[in-house]
Amino acid sequence: MTPEANLIQPPQLAVWLINLFASAEEAESILGDLLEEFSHFASESGPAFAGRWYWRQAVRTVVHLAGSGRRGAPWTTLAAIVGGYLLALLVYTLPDKVLDVVTFRYLHYWSHHFAAYMFCATDGMMIAHLALSLFVGSTVALAAKEREMVATVALGLVFFVLASVAYLMPVMVRAGGVSFPGMLGLQCADSLAMVAGGAFVRSRRQATASLPSST
Amino acid sequence: MPGRDYLGEFEHLTILALLRLDDRAYGVTVRKEIEFRTNREVSIGAVYATLDRLEAKGYVKSRRGDPTPERGGRSKRFFRVTPKGLAAANSTQRALHSMTKGLNLIRS
Repeated sequence: MTPEANLIQPPQLAVWLINLFASAEEAESILGDLLEEFSHFASESGPAFAGRWYWRQAVRTVVHLAGSGRRGAPWTTLAAIVGGYLLALLVYTLPDKVLDVVTFRYLHYWSHHFAAYMFCATDGMMIAHLALSLFVGSTVALAAKEREMVATVALGLVFFVLASVAYLMPVMVRAGGVSFPGMLGLQCADSLAMVAGGAFVRSRRQATASLPSST
Repeated sequence: MPGRDYLGEFEHLTILALLRLDDRAYGVTVRKEIEFRTNREVSIGAVYATLDRLEAKGYVKSRRGDPTPERGGRSKRFFRVTPKGLAAANSTQRALHSMTKGLNLIRS
């Protein structure tokens, strides 16, 4: 193996992804094994080939880690999903209520600043929804302890599927003002925000856990 | 009927790889052994998910090696088959042999 090959680092995004889904003990073995083989491939077949191989391994590894994490603690995962779902149902009504209160309280102001009102009623509501999804994801991740990503990914998927199915019902289609692809996009963004909340909590926990060893 | 000491296909392959590798069995060597002998791409995640499951069932045991520089200062996790794992591999092998006996599966 050439000294240059030793200097080549594996794709950091793939390393981060594995760190998100693996426990500290799993990450130690998996990342060590992957680095060992990555260095070998980089010196034998070049960094591009090694990088592609690493990404392929990382994605498949994350899928396995997510599956085994769910099977390893099914009740924790289920409790996190149900709790997160109920929490989301509760908090998602807040932006509408706040907007109602603010609209009636400052009716005079809004009548002179209609563009600002429209922003609050459309984009502002979407931003609030995403922020609340981030909050729900973070809360579920905090409750799920070492299964942050499994719990938030599962919750995001459940939410996406349930909302999509509900929207396909004729009553919902008539009541809603958003097209089906548009609604899918919004729901997808909500689910991704939940997962981002989980990733944030997971990253913070890892950073806190690694503090003593790095000093 | 004896207990459910049968292995799934990948569990069986993994235990056979551990037996072949003996004291050199860790993630990289197990992955390569299965890949080489079955001619299919195997992910390190699949290997560890299976090994963790086998360890939880008491079929394998693991121990940590020393950290090495080529692994970025990370240690290897070595695996060994337990007597219970060996018995499960034998049961599975016997069941497979019994099921395939008399069948002409390998055709040129």
